[in-house]
Amino acid sequence: MKVKFLATSAIIAALYIAITMLVAPISFGQVQFRIAEIFNHLIAFNPRFMLGVVLGVFFSNFLMSSVGPIDLIFGVGHTILTLGIFIFICKFVKNIWARLVINTTLFTFTMFIIAAQLNLVLDFPFWETWLFVAFGEFVVLAVGAPIMYTLNKRLDFKKLI
Amino acid sequence: MEKMIFGRYIPGNSFVHKLDPRSKLLFVFAFIIVVFFANNTLTYGILLAFTLIVILLSKIRLYFLINGLKPVIFLMLFTLILHLFMTREGPVLVDLGFMKIYEEGLRQGVYISMRFLMLVFMTSILTLTTSPISITDGLEVLLNPFKKIKLPVHELALMMSISLRFIPTLMDETDKIMKAQMARGSDLSAGPIKDRLKAVVPLLVPLFISAFKRAEDLATAMEVRGYRGGEGRTKYRLLKWHAKDTIILVALVIMAILLWMLRG
Repeated sequence: MKVKFLATSAIIAALYIAITMLVAPISFGQVQFRIAEIFNHLIAFNPRFMLGVVLGVFFSNFLMSSVGPIDLIFGVGHTILTLGIFIFICKFVKNIWARLVINTTLFTFTMFIIAAQLNLVLDFPFWETWLFVAFGEFVVLAVGAPIMYTLNKRLDFKKLI
Repeated sequence: MEKMIFGRYIPGNSFVHKLDPRSKLLFVFAFIIVVFFANNTLTYGILLAFTLIVILLSKIRLYFLINGLKPVIFLMLFTLILHLFMTREGPVLVDLGFMKIYEEGLRQGVYISMRFLMLVFMTSILTLTTSPISITDGLEVLLNPFKKIKLPVHELALMMSISLRFIPTLMDETDKIMKAQMARGSDLSAGPIKDRLKAVVPLLVPLFISAFKRAEDLATAMEVRGYRGGEGRTKYRLLKWHAKDTIILVALVIMAILLWMLRG
């Protein structure tokens, strides 16, 4: 493992956690969401960002989740699984916009894993919870896609890790 | 600012503080599974008593724990209400005309809220009594068996330590950039949603640039100091397993067996 990759992944994770904690309180109206989830879009530019994002999810869930470490298994599992599928799809899709759209759809769909967790721990009704959490995730990623696209134009994420 | 994450670790000298992070991590992960064994009043009572003993041993003021509950209180009430009105079994307790509350609904609602409360308390105690650095150290040792399947355990643990080290730095940075952009007239909390979203971009660009620059500096510094991975590295902080670490794990196993025998 190269030192630069190690350092960059660690900083990405730290940034994910910092943003989860800081920017999240600025809620956009009534919809609560984790702005840091837009980091998932980084993978559309370079799959090597995955480790940093997974670590970020791991630590935010560990330190802040209300449901406790059970969130580590489901939350981190959700991120790994979805990003894994997404990286596989990226092998066939080269257009960045298409990738961002696919990523948004994919994450919205796989939120059923989080719904299943809430169903298990708190006995929430599965389908309604899925609808609810998927909506939050969809808004963040749909809004995040153009933002990340703009950022990429200025920063060129591909070369940064 | 610091009170958000590092404020969650309260240094102390209690029984729980002195435990090895490895035993605390194992304990909490096992507790999460054991909690699901309980399914009647007696078993929930035992669990609750056990949780209270741990709280007493940790010498954490109840105020901190209650304070930590604030974000989840809505979730708990929601769960309770959901069960109160959705479960239709057993004799009717209250008849409001348009709605009936059944005994089974009340029972399930209370049980699940209690289960949730105990999960939150136990995990809060873990993070309140263990410094993030010892948690990382403990995780590294516990993950060691996975080295066999080529999981880079040492590198992962190092990354966790670096992240923890940089969270406050990056939070300060984010805060500074936010204030700088506000001083320039950007408004994140008012106006139509479209404008608020646009205001996020000038926030993220400097944040990303400075974060990546930090990573690059850090990598250079590590290389200059001759970092070559985990092979042959020694540790400054050594973990020590005491008798009390074995005792709490045995206590948990005994309770788990008890719950299993008494569950309905």
